[in-house]
Amino acid sequence: MPLLEIRNVSKIYGELKALDDVSLHVDQGEWVAIMGPSGSGKSTMMNIIGCMDKPSMGQVILDGVDISKESSKRLTDIRRDKIGLIFQQFHMVNYLTAVENVMVSQYYHSMPDEKEALEALERVGLRERARHLPSQLSGGEQQRVCVARALINHPELILADEPTGNLDEANENIVLDLFRQLHNEGTTLIVVTHDPEVAEVAQRTVVLEHGRMVREIVNERFGK
Amino acid sequence: MKRRAMFFRMITASLLRRRSRMLIALLSIAIGATILAGLVTVYVDVPRQMAAQFRSYGANMILMPAGSGVLSEADAEAAQTVIPGEELVGATPYRYVYLNMVRRQQTFAAAGTEFDQVQKTSPYFKVVGRYPSEPRQVLVGKSVADTIGVKENSVMELTWFPPSVDAAESPASGAAEIAPGMVLSGQAAGFGMQEGMNNKPVYVVVTIGDDGTIASLTVDTSGESEGFGTQCSESFFTDRFIGKPARDLELGKDVDAVSGATITSAAVVEAVNSAAPVDDTAAVLTPRTVNYTVVGILETGGEEEDYIYMSLDDMASITGQAGQVDFVELSVSASQDSLERYAQEISDSGRATARLVKRVIRSEATVLGKLQALVFLVTAVVLVLTMVSVSTTMMAVVAERRREIGLRKALGASDNAIRVEFLGEGLFLGALGGLLGAGLGFVFAQVVSVNVFGSDIRFSMLLLPVTVIVSMMVAALSCLLPVRRAVAIDPALVLKGE
Ligand SMILES: Nc1ncnc2c1ncn2[C@@H]1O[C@H](COP(=O)(O)OP(=O)(O)OP(=O)(O)O)[C@@H](O)[C@H]1O
Ligand SMILES: [Mg+2]
Repeated sequence: MPLLEIRNVSKIYGELKALDDVSLHVDQGEWVAIMGPSGSGKSTMMNIIGCMDKPSMGQVILDGVDISKESSKRLTDIRRDKIGLIFQQFHMVNYLTAVENVMVSQYYHSMPDEKEALEALERVGLRERARHLPSQLSGGEQQRVCVARALINHPELILADEPTGNLDEANENIVLDLFRQLHNEGTTLIVVTHDPEVAEVAQRTVVLEHGRMVREIVNERFGK
Repeated sequence: MKRRAMFFRMITASLLRRRSRMLIALLSIAIGATILAGLVTVYVDVPRQMAAQFRSYGANMILMPAGSGVLSEADAEAAQTVIPGEELVGATPYRYVYLNMVRRQQTFAAAGTEFDQVQKTSPYFKVVGRYPSEPRQVLVGKSVADTIGVKENSVMELTWFPPSVDAAESPASGAAEIAPGMVLSGQAAGFGMQEGMNNKPVYVVVTIGDDGTIASLTVDTSGESEGFGTQCSESFFTDRFIGKPARDLELGKDVDAVSGATITSAAVVEAVNSAAPVDDTAAVLTPRTVNYTVVGILETGGEEEDYIYMSLDDMASITGQAGQVDFVELSVSASQDSLERYAQEISDSGRATARLVKRVIRSEATVLGKLQALVFLVTAVVLVLTMVSVSTTMMAVVAERRREIGLRKALGASDNAIRVEFLGEGLFLGALGGLLGAGLGFVFAQVVSVNVFGSDIRFSMLLLPVTVIVSMMVAALSCLLPVRRAVAIDPALVLKGE
């Protein structure tokens, strides 16, 4: 059953076609990697799926709802309820501690629960650093806080844009392990990456070039 | 944990951990609130202060004799009962007479008054030394003191001469029929009126006997040269007039001159010949001389400095006349309408004529009105400036926090949630700044009050909530534009990549 269905989506900036007639469907529980050179439209696609942007043409159906037609207020609701976002720059609220940053996500979603937030940090191995401000955390630690924040509300879909782009190998492995766990729990994952090693651990890799989908590779070795 | 608790946790974290920026906004609000609170305090307290202040500009009502009569102290007191006691700040009677300083050959205007009242109706009087409190103590106007060179504790000898009818000016002069039992008084230029002398005439008081001739003669020669002219007041000379008619006397024929005092003798004869009947025989008394101690010098910069002040009792004992005043100055703390009503009632009673001192009353109303307008204007300007300052700071804050706002939106914050968070921070700042401002404002008002009005201010408990609420409103208003900016932020743009 498809959680996400993209039908003939284009995003046009003036002369430039950031996305050009892209179609893709992602099943519930699937783990998909999106690869492509810089400027190929990966982030544009992520923003559209993440309800932060609308396509110029085409339809995007998320969990049975055509989000290309929704008002921005509804898009905010859908994003809050269904999607967990992870960014390349591990954006955090810089005057809040790690645990408070996780709680911000709970606050907008439903009820802040410090205990649950601490458990999420425990899960990414940062229980001890819960009371630190972002400036007191390393880049890898910050990204792990962002992962904890993305999974705290148990979203159906986690969107990660270059989640390991700024991480060393050790931290990259920690994050990928977390993705593996989330996948095993049934969470749908869409991960944008430059890195073939990160793409390789996904079930399927979609390759974009100049806004077009040029290739789709199914990972035969997935799960082995 | 409740959502509200998280809300306050986020707001306080934002204010506490991003101190420098927020301190600027807080300071703006606090300064605005300080001036607001200060001005409002002064404003509220000003009418009270002003009333007291204006009362210090002196009397605003004057009681004068009704018609052309005289004002008795009893009438003056009865007239004042129209004014409620708590509104009557002070009532000062004045009685003026001329007193002579024989040694210096000068005449001065003296005012009899009540010093405890003077201090209430003329609080601007500046006295070097002190006000008289004992009998025979006087307060001397600065210009008088400078002229005659008296200082505190100097002793002044002052002489009162009975009023005499001026021979030259009285229409009855000389021509009046002489009748038995009449009392005449007269004056003529003697040696004292010659150049370089004391400019004092010779006074005479003549009583007419039953037979129509002179029964007694009293002569005041205090202006004549000692040992010569002064002999003319002695009985060996005055007895020469007894039994003579009081008209057409000739020196040398009817009366012999005192040797060595021809000029004075001639003056006495002339004064008798021209003496006119006196209505009030009680007023015709012999001159009286009293020694007074100067206890204070009065400095006002005005005409008050030309007088010598003594108590009404002292004045009564030197003139022999009591119970009369020329006018009474009243200081009444009441509105213009009430003042007009009191004046009307007093005048209607027929006891006295009350006049309002218009200048003081009108300026009271004008200054109050102008001050209120000024306070409104300054408050409005300050509030606008505060708003501009807070708004600018919050604008910078929003720019600084673009990414954070984008992130919050990406995490699911609705536009309303963003609005509430920023307004929340603004209101928090407003409340804090308002509290600070109310405190500082009171100090500010106190300083203004002490410097401008010279008195302590009354703290109004209402000031605290009013200042805090106004500050919160100003802060909230200042946040409107920045909040709109914040809401317009597109998360896709600010979170994008590099
Ligand atoms: N708001 C915008 N206005 C105009 N052009 C845009 C806008 N956003 C993206 N583009 C353009 O669209 C194209 C695709 O951008 P996108 O950010 O999706 O690339 P990307 O594949 O994520 O690249 P990278 O790997 O460098 O992050 C680029 O050429 C970019 O310049
Ligand atoms: Mg990108």
